[in-house]
Amino acid sequence: MAELDDAELIEACRAGRPGAFDAIVERHRRSVYLLCYRFVGNHEDASDLSQDVFLRAYRGLGGFRGGSSLATWLYRIGVNACLNRVSVKKPLTEDLDARQHIDTFHESPSERVLREERGARVRAAITQLPPKQRATLVLRMYQELSHEEIADVLGSSVGAVKANFFHALGNLRKLLGDERL
Amino acid sequence: MNGSSHMAHLKPARLVDLAEGVEAEQSAPHLAECDTCRRALAELRAAMADLARPGSDDVQEPSPLFWDHLSARVRDAVAEDGKPGHASWRDRWLRPRLIAPVLVSALALVLVAVAVRSPKAPTAKSIPSTVLPIAATTPLPSLPPLEPLGASDDPALGLMEDYGTTLGWDDMRKEMAVVSHAGGTDDAVTTLSAEERQELQRLLEEEMTQPSALGAS
Repeated sequence: MAELDDAELIEACRAGRPGAFDAIVERHRRSVYLLCYRFVGNHEDASDLSQDVFLRAYRGLGGFRGGSSLATWLYRIGVNACLNRVSVKKPLTEDLDARQHIDTFHESPSERVLREERGARVRAAITQLPPKQRATLVLRMYQELSHEEIADVLGSSVGAVKANFFHALGNLRKLLGDERL
Repeated sequence: MNGSSHMAHLKPARLVDLAEGVEAEQSAPHLAECDTCRRALAELRAAMADLARPGSDDVQEPSPLFWDHLSARVRDAVAEDGKPGHASWRDRWLRPRLIAPVLVSALALVLVAVAVRSPKAPTAKSIPSTVLPIAATTPLPSLPPLEPLGASDDPALGLMEDYGTTLGWDDMRKEMAVVSHAGGTDDAVTTLSAEERQELQRLLEEEMTQPSALGAS
């Protein structure tokens, strides 16, 4: 299954081939999880949301027409799931101690602490942005989608996405006060 | 110099294009004359550069085991859900056509139990002549008498007793807007033979005399 592209995997899923949906999950689980994590700011909710995204995708495979890429479609489901979640649940960001980081080998302990504190503050500030601004910022800066792709995900115009991005960055600076982003 | 009072400021979308290099600054002569827009563009670039720096939003990278765990969770959820693109088991089970018979069955059992306890004989005018009224059957002599229960102490049971003794089954179904179908549990209850009814009565009495059925600890 790993050699199939996304479109072929979707067809294999529809045909009921065992392992096809597993392959989709394996291919996209990291990007979906990171999107959710950046949206909600904690591992537990991000994990639950990721599962929910794939379950929704599985249910909706019959209606997926391939007008956008599978990744974009999954992002759309993910953003909707996250928006639903944040509308009913106050964001909960993790303590510094709860987080581990990728590469701490080349930095001193003090540098590491500063970086972690700064990261935590930025993450907390992102979770306070209005939902559409938050989605736009996360998709642009961290998931590295183009404005056109974000417009497709959010169902907005490209102009609206750029405006949201502009205001998201401005609001983030206000939330963080004098501190540099 | 600030000439912004004489011309419109650049729109956010255009500033984003300029900050990301999609559009060259030379194509926006307004920038050369407007301190406000120049400052907005500089702040936008600084914010984007800061966010792109390592540490601005380091995300915890879960352990490799987490990914397998997530895949397993999804696999289980999908297996429970059924085929792709189909309604979930919840949707299927919450369909009214499946709920109605379950509710009717539960209601029928409650009514039979209440009728068995009632000292009054039911009016049988609306009950089909081929069906014996349940409460009119003679209790088995081997059974111990039931303790007084319910109707006088519990308004809900009293209401159910009234329904059970003053309405026939058909009237009751009409009264409660319950729709049944041939072969359903409610039909089966009303068409029991005398022997079957006696056995049902015996089982219900046995069940209701258990301490747990009376709410005793």
